[in-house]
Amino acid sequence: MKKNKGLIIGFSLPIVITLCVMYIYPVMRTLLMSFFQIESVTGDTSTWTFCGLGNYANVFASAGFKAAMWNMFKIWLVGGILTLSLALLFAVILCSGIRFKKFFRAAIYLPNVVSAVALATMWIQYVYNNDYGMLNKMLEMVGLEGVKWLSSDMKFWAMLFAFVFGAVGYYMLIFISGIERIPVDLYEAATIDGANKIAQFTKITLPLLRGIIKTNITFWSVNTTTFFLWSKMFSPIDSEASTIVPVVYLYNQIFGSKGSYTRDAGAGAAVGILLALIILVVYFVVNKIIKDDELEF
Amino acid sequence: MKKKLLSALLSVAMVATLLVGCGGTTATTEEAPATEEAAAEETAAEETADAAKQYEGVTLNFWSMWNSAEPQGQVIQAAADAFEAETGAKVNIEWKGRDIQQLIMAALEQGEAIDLFEDDYARIAKTYVEYCYDLTDMAAAANYADQSFACFNDVATAWAGFLPCVTEQPQVGGVFYNKDIFAECGVEVPTTWEEFMAVCQTLVDNGYQPLALDTAYARFNMGYHLERYLTEAGVSELIQNGGWAESEGAIQAAQDIIDFVNAGYLADGAPDEYPASQNKIGLTGEVAMVVCANYVAAEVNNNTGAEINWGMFNYPTVANGSDSTNAYAGANSIAVTSYSENAQAAFDFALFLTSGEFDQQMADTASQIPADPRNTAPAIMDGTIEALTATANPLSWNMGLNDNADVKEASNEIVIKLFEGAYATGADFAAAMDALY
Repeated sequence: MKKNKGLIIGFSLPIVITLCVMYIYPVMRTLLMSFFQIESVTGDTSTWTFCGLGNYANVFASAGFKAAMWNMFKIWLVGGILTLSLALLFAVILCSGIRFKKFFRAAIYLPNVVSAVALATMWIQYVYNNDYGMLNKMLEMVGLEGVKWLSSDMKFWAMLFAFVFGAVGYYMLIFISGIERIPVDLYEAATIDGANKIAQFTKITLPLLRGIIKTNITFWSVNTTTFFLWSKMFSPIDSEASTIVPVVYLYNQIFGSKGSYTRDAGAGAAVGILLALIILVVYFVVNKIIKDDELEF
Repeated sequence: MKKKLLSALLSVAMVATLLVGCGGTTATTEEAPATEEAAAEETAAEETADAAKQYEGVTLNFWSMWNSAEPQGQVIQAAADAFEAETGAKVNIEWKGRDIQQLIMAALEQGEAIDLFEDDYARIAKTYVEYCYDLTDMAAAANYADQSFACFNDVATAWAGFLPCVTEQPQVGGVFYNKDIFAECGVEVPTTWEEFMAVCQTLVDNGYQPLALDTAYARFNMGYHLERYLTEAGVSELIQNGGWAESEGAIQAAQDIIDFVNAGYLADGAPDEYPASQNKIGLTGEVAMVVCANYVAAEVNNNTGAEINWGMFNYPTVANGSDSTNAYAGANSIAVTSYSENAQAAFDFALFLTSGEFDQQMADTASQIPADPRNTAPAIMDGTIEALTATANPLSWNMGLNDNADVKEASNEIVIKLFEGAYATGADFAAAMDALY
């Protein structure tokens, strides 16, 4: 069939233009902004002053940014291990032929349907509250003293646990889709050969889920770097070192915060570029370590 | 040809109808008065109407920081309707809510059709000043000084170099307390830290918990206490350059707080997560005070359904301190854009909303301080007008502790830890602060 070049161009041009305008231009502009001293994010380019890597040097020297990066790393590592492990565990259990599978799947996914604001409020007010929170009430029932779950030492972990609770269902669904792709014959053959469930999991399920694990790690990394709302909910008026994350730091740099009117869009752009680089690095490292094309089924 | 003729006839008929329609009122007006008195009244009414409708055909675009369903939004809408009826100017309100902070700058830079907008007065005078109309002459002509708090006008003018905004919703910070508890315990409002500590002890002796504190306001509390020793400029200098361990005032301020916490004067669970601690004032009736801005009174009442008999006093002074008696004061204000083609109409609307009837309505409906000192503060804002009138140099939010964005979050945590009792001495607190630099 003869290719109609005009038709191809006609169909692809709108999306190419949209991609350039909506994606490539903002990315390039942000990259450029990160090398300039800029007060207003929408300010005219005539107001920009070139400062080389000055913005990067400033954000790396900032105690707030360092705290934010450290928090993000903890969310990525600890939260990632918790979330992906629990998600995989639930996925395996749900795919093992248990009864009420649909109910449990829906129940575990439910927090993803609820607004994150409502979810965070529920955790702060009804679970962690000192006086009438569920956790302290449970401790009281067994005769133990209540804990200040939202004290400065505990707040990060309280926030992370609440976030993990809401995130597990999403990754579980992705794992389920991966597990359901694995042919049942493999498990039947393994059962006949005498392999128990753990052996089946480690020798069949895990190796065949490499591609899905890679996808989930990438999604988790993106989710971690864009972590914003939970931090805002756990420190609603003033950012705190225990809960600040890079995107909140970026937001404060660009728009200022309560009682703070200085704005630095250049520093904000530098943070944005750094976050994008982190995601790229994670993506390439994960691709390098986890190969998903070794096995075919 | 016939069509052209028909068109011409129809046009003539239409013009004739218009002329008759427009001329009818005058004819009636001329014929109607039966007596000279009635004629004079009619003329006066006509003149008033002509003068009042001075902005007929004018449309003002107003970006509001509220939503239409909020009490503030409802009063603004009512004022806009009344202003249109009185002057003919239509006020087209865009309800941007709190997102205005993220939206307004880009809109101003792009020259979007905005005549007025609302935001924090400091942000207007510092951040958006380039796009603000100089209201100095209009304000002088309208005797604005007589219907506003001088402290806001003076400070905004000092920041911007001219009067950039009209105060709409003033705020004042200090110690807000339950007057019934004070009366029951027989204590007077304290003015010094020693008196304040004595009041706290009396409250504890009577079974009350003296002070609510949410972590969100820990720096506000500490900022006030530091300011009393060092002044706001001194606090700003310390937070920017460090040297806390060399500052006797800073060490003493931290020691005062440690002593306060160790004496058990914080409410149970404080510092708590906003708004859990302040809500205890209404929920338990056993917590007497909170250091915050005036909106805390309405927040507690709304959150808990309690009707606290609120009072307010200025944050206490300290011995060997700076003798500062200034209070935190801030305001949501209205600015007119520098490129507005109807600046006078916009200013008149801002004044219409922030003085007289609608200002009183705003104060009553939204339980806040009136912008016009001639109006009356609602009962729960008792003492706030006096505090604002007495404040010559209003303190900024957190009294200078916000002046170093690099250590803001980390210093916030150290201050929270101070209230959590994590430091044994003021020197330990100072050392922790110095470690940030």
